[in-house]
Amino acid sequence: MADAQTRPDDSKEVTTRTTRREILKRAGVGAATIAGGSMFAKTSVAGAAKYPHRELAGTLRIIQWSHFVPAYDDWFDDVYVKRWGQANDTEVVVDHINQADIPARAAAEVAAQSGHDLFFFLSPPAQYEDQVISHNDIVAEVTEKRGKMKDVARKATYNPKTKKYFAFSDNYVPDPVNWRSDLWAEAGYRNGPTSWDAVLKAAPKLRAAGHPIGLGMSNEIDSNMALMAMMMCFGSFIQNEKQRVDMKRKPTVEVLKFGRELYRQGMSNEIFAWTASSNNQAMVAGRLSLALNAISITRTAEGQNPDLASKINLAPIPSGPNGRLGLEHVMGAYVIWKFAKNKTAAKKFLVDLETKYIGAFENSKFYNFPSWPASVPNVPRRLARDPVAKPTGKYSILGTIAEKYTNNPGYPGYTNAAIDEIFNKFLIPQMFAEVAQGKRTPEDAAEIYARSFRTIFQRWRNRGKI
Amino acid sequence: MPTRRREGLVAWLIVGPWAIVLAFPFYWMLWTALKTDQDLYNTQNVPFGFANGSPTLHNVRFLFEETDYARWLFNTVLVGVVVVVITLVFAAPAGYALARLSGRWGQSLGVGIFLVYLVPPTLLFLPLSRVIAELGLQDRLLSLMLVYPSFTIPFSTWLLMGFFKTIPPELEDAARVDGASRVKTLLRIVFPISVPGLLTVVIFTFSLCVNEFVYALAFITTSSQKVISTGIYTELIRGDVFFWGALMAATLIPSIPLALLYNAFLDRFIAGFTGGAFR
Repeated sequence: MADAQTRPDDSKEVTTRTTRREILKRAGVGAATIAGGSMFAKTSVAGAAKYPHRELAGTLRIIQWSHFVPAYDDWFDDVYVKRWGQANDTEVVVDHINQADIPARAAAEVAAQSGHDLFFFLSPPAQYEDQVISHNDIVAEVTEKRGKMKDVARKATYNPKTKKYFAFSDNYVPDPVNWRSDLWAEAGYRNGPTSWDAVLKAAPKLRAAGHPIGLGMSNEIDSNMALMAMMMCFGSFIQNEKQRVDMKRKPTVEVLKFGRELYRQGMSNEIFAWTASSNNQAMVAGRLSLALNAISITRTAEGQNPDLASKINLAPIPSGPNGRLGLEHVMGAYVIWKFAKNKTAAKKFLVDLETKYIGAFENSKFYNFPSWPASVPNVPRRLARDPVAKPTGKYSILGTIAEKYTNNPGYPGYTNAAIDEIFNKFLIPQMFAEVAQGKRTPEDAAEIYARSFRTIFQRWRNRGKI
Repeated sequence: MPTRRREGLVAWLIVGPWAIVLAFPFYWMLWTALKTDQDLYNTQNVPFGFANGSPTLHNVRFLFEETDYARWLFNTVLVGVVVVVITLVFAAPAGYALARLSGRWGQSLGVGIFLVYLVPPTLLFLPLSRVIAELGLQDRLLSLMLVYPSFTIPFSTWLLMGFFKTIPPELEDAARVDGASRVKTLLRIVFPISVPGLLTVVIFTFSLCVNEFVYALAFITTSSQKVISTGIYTELIRGDVFFWGALMAATLIPSIPLALLYNAFLDRFIAGFTGGAFR
């Protein structure tokens, strides 16, 4: 019989069952320990550790996009800046950001009046002219060492009204047509998209075969560039050389009609919701027959779909009634904020980067073309000997495109703050989309948008920027 | 067919498709995380099968070996835990005060506090950037730990206010009659009964911290200091190239413990949300 002498002592009974309360209690203690300990750690809440082995005199902080070629960032972060930092007794910290977040981050730094010494944009930031130093001396120094700056970069970063370089362009990116040679041959157009007329004629057959044309009409950078370039090929320009709104009625209406027909006969309605990566993904997945994009399409295909990569050819922008006029796909432009802490190091960094641009050109897989052409000698030979190009020499055409068919947004004028605003608000893709979807007639759209551009230009003119 | 069986079948017919629809994204994420790029981009392949070298753990290896993903996970948990603690410290007493001590104005004040939660971060990140810069907290996790409570506390206060109202005041009166102070009553009577509500606050606050993006983007750029919402976005979407396999793996990994947490405390979570609904 169990009695007081043999019965287990209840007060000493051990509970082995783990309750929710116990889990929460233990987790809370553990978390508090970690949080409390980390509060005083040099890393985590206190910020990133300083350069480990050497006390360097200064710090240079750079923010730039995550390059689509990871090897470029590896080279830039782990090789180039380390070497430069040691040679110049400066700790260089490089932060990366998604290209879509560059405007938001820039706005945050300007609002905070604090941030990085060097801020990288993918399009010339004319709207920030008042927030940045004059980059004239940097441009002058590189010009002295490497000769003339390429016009596309000069007109994209210089304000003739204030006589100020509001950014320093280290590179621009040519914008070729990527087209599927096999599909175009099947459609009976072996020579490919030599003209916009040929594109329109081939479009129905290509779409019927399940491979539509891929020109975006949505609020994203590729749509901006492709449609602005198409307009120029038809003789429609947002502004003239005197920075006055141009938008001549006849060619503008004609190109809007062309865009509408191209959509109706050869594209799918997904183009109205595209992001910057949509044409890449559709092309690399084998859907599209044509896209206007930098070589990120072909380089991605080489890694992810090598069979397809050999069928994607590159060509200059198709010619239109006004000839063949293209734009850069993106332009790398560094700015030094007025509130930057280490302007001296920032300036020297830019000069050194640009005067020896071979590493950047090669490690970007020819994505980054130098804004000073003499910074990279023998570009045609480098392009021709690319080891992975299929067919061989595929990238040689980039040299021709860069030389002859690459202009700045706002051509024939400069890339000013008004152009920047039109660009950032995606007004050109919206204009084309409204016409393509039948929401406006080409005539109405041309008139309404020309009026809106004039308002924008006048506002910036009133501010003394144009 | 017996009534119960028929009712069960009807319930399954309604719930089943919804469950499939809701679970499908996670299934898709898992399958994509295990695919090679050659398999993923080949439109001839069956999307729900494996080919061209799939399945593979390459994407998961890439995450942990080629990026700071483990660091971002740690940073996210750290920020989440600290913000949860701060939120509880402020929201619990505030919710109680509004429920019990503020008279006729309590309800209006509670709603007013909740409305603060509705102000979007896209409006506030610019002025807050200035504040963070002035405090010297740029690129530090402390900036997020101090800013996140600005939206977690209002919502939690409002939630707990409703929950505290469901607790019979007689319980507190009985404790007060027995000689307990207000604070002791709060700690020994009210809070233990309010565990579902507090748990709701914990889970919800943690979820808000994990999902927050705008402040994390505006205040922190150094890779080692990023949280997963910005780290994944920055390093796995490069220019116009998406690394889909790694992206899916990166988003799936933190989803699993969150899902388990929700599942483990689901009944209390529901009680916490609905507790204040009937007063």
